[in-house]
Amino acid sequence: MPLLNDEIRQEVSKILANLPGPVRLVMFTQQFECEYCAETRQLVEEVAELSDQITAEIYDFQADQAKAESLGIDKIPAIAVIGAQDYGVRFYGIPSGYEFASFLHAIQSVAAGKPELSEATLKFLDGLIKPVHIQVFVTPTCPYCPQAVMLAHQMAIASPMVRSDMVEAMEFPQLAIKYQVMGVPRTVINETVHIEGAAPESMVVAKLREALRG
Amino acid sequence: MISGISFPGASLYDLIVIGGGPAGATAALYGARAGLKTLVIDKGLTAGAAGKAGQIVNFPGLGPISGADLVRRIREQAASFGAEFITDKVLQVDLSADPRQVWGSQGVYQGRAIIIATGSMGRHRYLPGEEGLVGRGVSYCATCDAAFFRDQAVAVLGNNDEAIEEALTLTRFAARVHFLSPTSDLNASPELARELTANPKVALRLSTQTKEILGNGRVEGLRIVLPEGEEILPVAGVFIYLQGNVPVTDFLGGQLPLGEGGCLLVDENFQTAVPGVFAVGDVLCRHLKQAVVAAAEGAVAAIAADRYLHGRAQLRPDWSR
Repeated sequence: MPLLNDEIRQEVSKILANLPGPVRLVMFTQQFECEYCAETRQLVEEVAELSDQITAEIYDFQADQAKAESLGIDKIPAIAVIGAQDYGVRFYGIPSGYEFASFLHAIQSVAAGKPELSEATLKFLDGLIKPVHIQVFVTPTCPYCPQAVMLAHQMAIASPMVRSDMVEAMEFPQLAIKYQVMGVPRTVINETVHIEGAAPESMVVAKLREALRG
Repeated sequence: MISGISFPGASLYDLIVIGGGPAGATAALYGARAGLKTLVIDKGLTAGAAGKAGQIVNFPGLGPISGADLVRRIREQAASFGAEFITDKVLQVDLSADPRQVWGSQGVYQGRAIIIATGSMGRHRYLPGEEGLVGRGVSYCATCDAAFFRDQAVAVLGNNDEAIEEALTLTRFAARVHFLSPTSDLNASPELARELTANPKVALRLSTQTKEILGNGRVEGLRIVLPEGEEILPVAGVFIYLQGNVPVTDFLGGQLPLGEGGCLLVDENFQTAVPGVFAVGDVLCRHLKQAVVAAAEGAVAAIAADRYLHGRAQLRPDWSR
């Protein structure tokens, strides 16, 4: 049974029409011990069917370990959303519920390769000399979360120094414990600095500065 | 379980009215009557000031009527013209998008024009201990965060439909849900109140004031005052749905200019600084808090929204009809 019904397929087709460039959805899965791998794979394949510009590439996390490492993938299910280049946009866990909007937005954004950020933020990101890793913890039922995920992904597209992950907290409970996630969205920057809730762009930039100082 | 796939584009309306009190419901009545595909998003019949009012005696043409009955009658009239009503809480909007996006707890809605009628029962300050523990056990969204409190004791602060629905969501995860109502009875629909009291996981405490949220790095308990005295209630999470008396504009995220005290500023057609976005009722600055005034404003804004949608930005009063 398809995950996307006819009505949603039509709407998604409209959203993905006229993508300005090709997009690769590089997905890592395995057959066992991964609750949502099968559904995530199905979602990726169903979305890829809706645009000639999108291709789905499915890899086995164990058998294709070298490929996973080359993309920095360390857990599954994982999707790397790659445009003309790999901007470091990742989804860990199934992008369902509200996160489906983040997923579509990521596809559109990497296809365009033009981040939707203010001049001030772009200038700050241009000047980065240290790597930044942004992890946004979400649940699929959280309406505030896509804003945080989309913003983090825009920052990854803007700077080769930034990589950004959506992490579905329920699918990675060990990470939820490690990063003390008790509410979402919770953004973790370089393992050290946290943001609670969906923060405006300027606040996220301030937190990036804080993380880079520390 | 996989949550449903939702995304912008699911439901497109000509007019979305946020808030279903006298102002919002009347706006919906006029919008639907004008043939606009109209949706009202509201937290519940008794969520606002009118819905809570015991008796309204000065609404023209009606004898003494309870606030909830008045609101219900306006809504029924609006629905008879085709307006749709949905119980949901609006969390965020994007007023610059085309069509405009409205994010609720239950889904995403799109509207070509928006009327904000959210009233003025927002909170204006934190409880002691609250601010520092946001995301550390303090939450405002059970649908987002309930799963983090599996098999633990939590508290819900509030007394209306929204608080009850969120508490019922929590009962699917938490071991115990302490429902702490600051008032001596619930301001909620009887069906929801019954569902709450019948749930074996819920401990309902009325007339309970929460004085402080306790915890070091994470929520550990609450200091509460009951009619019989003060007590420390150990909980791992606290979900807050208390109300106050400030305009409800937090979901706007700074997209509209606010007046003193957080109220919304509008022109003579109740249009805000963003064309196609209107505001009516108690959320406005210098507002006379009367149901009839709110209703009248809803009518004017809906007519202005119709003209906006049909390219007639200039509202011309027409006294002939």
